[in-house]
Amino acid sequence: MQNLYARIGAVVAITALTVLLIPGVDDAVELVFQVVVLVASG
Amino acid sequence: MNVMKRIGIIGLWTLLVLVTAVGTAAIKQRFADGPNRVFSGGALVSGELHRGAEPDWAFVNQTPTIELQLLDPLQSRRIWTASVDGKLYVWSGYMNSLVGKLWKSWPAQAERDGRAVMRIDGVRYERQLVRVKSGDGLQALTALINEKYSSRTSPGAIDSGDVWMFEAAPRTTQGAK
Repeated sequence: MQNLYARIGAVVAITALTVLLIPGVDDAVELVFQVVVLVASG
Repeated sequence: MNVMKRIGIIGLWTLLVLVTAVGTAAIKQRFADGPNRVFSGGALVSGELHRGAEPDWAFVNQTPTIELQLLDPLQSRRIWTASVDGKLYVWSGYMNSLVGKLWKSWPAQAERDGRAVMRIDGVRYERQLVRVKSGDGLQALTALINEKYSSRTSPGAIDSGDVWMFEAAPRTTQGAK
């Protein structure tokens, strides 16, 4: 179980750092989110 | 059964990555100079601050979206706008829906403290948002909105509170509220 929490923490940390540090990733994420919202609201 | 379990586990990991990425991108945008597409941004910092005579706002009818920042809280978002009879308007729709109530907090914030900054084509304008609660006399405005954005706004929607319409008036010397 502890191993699972460590894995979840690692995935969250790597994902967050990727979005924060690599230029353009945040914009791409927002674009995907916008498309999902548009499809869901349609 | 084993395959389904594996697909479920992969789906949960993918969901974790997506939720984390979206949350991080939204938080990151809060510290940026203005909004991006859908995520709210921070204070509008860059751009010349307009001083002097009231502009002819008709030009905003050719502008798809503008950036709107309230002074309290210091957050900005991208919104639609239109101008009729020399007055500038912004609005928020779906206010009677569950999504509107959960998602849209700026209209209530603007009603409490209407001091705002708008950035249009890179120029910042200090304004005072004043809510227009009655759609009487706004037929021309709603017709323009429907033509510009292919939406279905009506004076009745303003009366019912489904659309919260604000006039972005000149900032008064009294300032807030």
